[in-house]
Amino acid sequence: MLPTEFAPAFPETVLGLGICLVLLVDLYLPARWRDVTYLLALVTLAATAMAVSDIGLSGTTLALGGSFVADPLASFLKLFVLAALATVFVYSRAYLQDSTYNKGEYYLLGLFAALGILVMISGASLLTLYLGLEMQALALYAMVAFNRDSPVAAEAAMKYFVLGAIASGCLLYGISLLYGVTGTVQLAEIAQALRAGGADDAVTLVAVAFVVVGIAFKFGAVPFHMWVPDVYEGAPVSVTLLVGTVPKVGAFALALRVLVEGLGETGVTWEPMLGVLAVLSLGIGNIVAIVQTNLRRMLAYSTIAHVGFILLGFAAGSREGIEAALFYTIVYVIMAAGAFGIVILLGRQGDDADELDDLRGLSQRSPWFALVMLLLMVSMIGVPPLAGFYAKWWVLAALLDAGQLWLAIAGVLFSVVGAFYYLRVVKLMYFDSPAGEAPLRQGAALRLTLSVNGLLVLALGVFPEGLIELCARALG
Amino acid sequence: MAGTLFFYTLSAVLIASALGVITARNPVHAVLFLVLSFVTSSVLWLLLEAEFLAVVLVLVYVGAVMVLFLFVVMMLDVNVAQLREGFTRYAWLGAVVAAVLAAELLAIVWWKPDGLPMAATTTPRPADYSNTEMLGTALYTEHLFAFELAAFLLLLAIVAAIVLTMRRRPGLKAQDVSRQVAVRREDRVRLVQMKAEHDT
Amino acid sequence: MITLGHYLTLSALLFVIAIAGIFLNRKNVILLLMCVELLLLAVNFNFIAFSRYLDDPTGQVFVFFILTVAAAEAAIGLAILVVLFRARRSINVQELDVLKG
Repeated sequence: MLPTEFAPAFPETVLGLGICLVLLVDLYLPARWRDVTYLLALVTLAATAMAVSDIGLSGTTLALGGSFVADPLASFLKLFVLAALATVFVYSRAYLQDSTYNKGEYYLLGLFAALGILVMISGASLLTLYLGLEMQALALYAMVAFNRDSPVAAEAAMKYFVLGAIASGCLLYGISLLYGVTGTVQLAEIAQALRAGGADDAVTLVAVAFVVVGIAFKFGAVPFHMWVPDVYEGAPVSVTLLVGTVPKVGAFALALRVLVEGLGETGVTWEPMLGVLAVLSLGIGNIVAIVQTNLRRMLAYSTIAHVGFILLGFAAGSREGIEAALFYTIVYVIMAAGAFGIVILLGRQGDDADELDDLRGLSQRSPWFALVMLLLMVSMIGVPPLAGFYAKWWVLAALLDAGQLWLAIAGVLFSVVGAFYYLRVVKLMYFDSPAGEAPLRQGAALRLTLSVNGLLVLALGVFPEGLIELCARALG
Repeated sequence: MAGTLFFYTLSAVLIASALGVITARNPVHAVLFLVLSFVTSSVLWLLLEAEFLAVVLVLVYVGAVMVLFLFVVMMLDVNVAQLREGFTRYAWLGAVVAAVLAAELLAIVWWKPDGLPMAATTTPRPADYSNTEMLGTALYTEHLFAFELAAFLLLLAIVAAIVLTMRRRPGLKAQDVSRQVAVRREDRVRLVQMKAEHDT
Repeated sequence: MITLGHYLTLSALLFVIAIAGIFLNRKNVILLLMCVELLLLAVNFNFIAFSRYLDDPTGQVFVFFILTVAAAEAAIGLAILVVLFRARRSINVQELDVLKG
């Protein structure tokens, strides 16, 4: 076994070894055995999940020179990330099999991104958080450009990369100032130093502003959202699916660890900042989504709007608000995975079928998957009894409890605006006649997982208590 | 006093070369200005007694990363004139943002540096002090986890760079050294019996 | 006497030049990448100066990792640039208009 000092990082160790294994095996396998890489990647995720559940939801341990923390929240988020990534891999395989770039490196880079996110989730010092963030970001930049023959993908990757690098630079500048003020990069010690004084100094204020810019970019909040629509539209659908789901958990973890645990003392500074970013995201996201004709761009702007809601939870500045943000993040990732799963299902070889018009008459072509999409869209609007309703309701309740009436009103108002474009999807599916008779993508794993994904949105809406309880306990 | 003069001279060179990077008309010149910035920074880091990092900056940054930049700039053969069109279109926006940022950042240094150790002075290191040893001790004990992560990060960079740029073109002519070495006389030389030709 | 303030000023100026460069060179990707390198150099200056004046090794360790990450980042960034150039025969951002942004 590992030395006790390393024991809390056992999941990361397993994942790291799994990455090496997948890399070596994929190198020596002929292209027609690509499924071995896929299965091995899934096995790696499962093994990592077992290692996480070994640690369980027990108490908090600070390990590895204070740079790594294992707490209930970390275990909970890690298990969710691993499960979500496995789902993403199942959907992606169906897509990649029909593409000209079905390479094992897709799964490998996906695992690297997962490692980065896991490190972020357990990050107890700004150094490890930064390294995890960069690992995730670098893997995603490369994945966006994965289809080397597509000029659009390369362009999206370039924009993502340049903006991401600038955001990292800003985040680092903020971190360097925080180091100057507190003399440490460990979050617990930073929190302690700020409690002792200096939380409202000008230097700290500027540092916090730089950090917030970095975090807002990683979330894709307005005005740092320029990359989101381009990456969602330009990248291969399987990569869009990945970018749109799992990294949001990483961004949540980053915001929680840095802002709440490290800079909690400066809440009066960053809460209004996040409030402004949230309202802008809600507004721009929901309004611009209405005029989109491409399903992926529409989902991109819808993502920006959902991120606005997650940030509203943080802006409430209360324990309840953060629990609500956690719940919202989890539910959002499940809904987004399902929605992009449908996009993959609609596509076929050489045609991504990602225009809104491709959804026409889906109810006649496949009544079941039209129903799944209906559930997802209605949940994204926030209609009871679906999971999306509880997510929105909890955030709003937290805002009202914290006395942030105006933020709550903005949340409700823009949700109503947002209902329009989700309902348009429903109208296209149920009231328009199909444009063509193109068959949906086959694949039992894809269809089964997608069905479960859709039903999960319903199940979490009817019985939300379990997840609510889990979120509260994880943050407890 | 010599140290102060040294600092101001190097700082002036650094700022000038950084300005050169962002205004050079030719990307190759920009890379060379960037090299100058890094070398100057390296000397300034020596003044701050960060010897190991100063050396690493020259070796890794100037030696590898900048050469990679130069390589790509020259390989891509960018059309210079075309790239500089509309150079001034966003200049005013850049100037405004830069002025605001500069005012902010300089204000927190000179006007309200509360919390920053502004009054701190540096004590000279003892003669047997080793910067490398200090860094190594911190790296392999307290920051071991980060060190392992950096290893994975570099592996990721290798995988990503290769998957993005390596192409196996069909019909590409290449040497196979082992086949060249293993060749035997019989494979290449054929003795032919011919009748001698006569002049007619 | 050179104080911490001198180094912080130098770093702030570098940072501002890098940001100005990003606005000036919005159209040339390779110059944008160079501006990012300048940005990271400014951050490194901050860390090393703090590390010296706080007499604490952590700042230098952080710079060590920033250099590592920046090298990896440059490799991937340039790889994407090469892919883009092969696909488009141009790295002019003005021509990067297939996506609406």
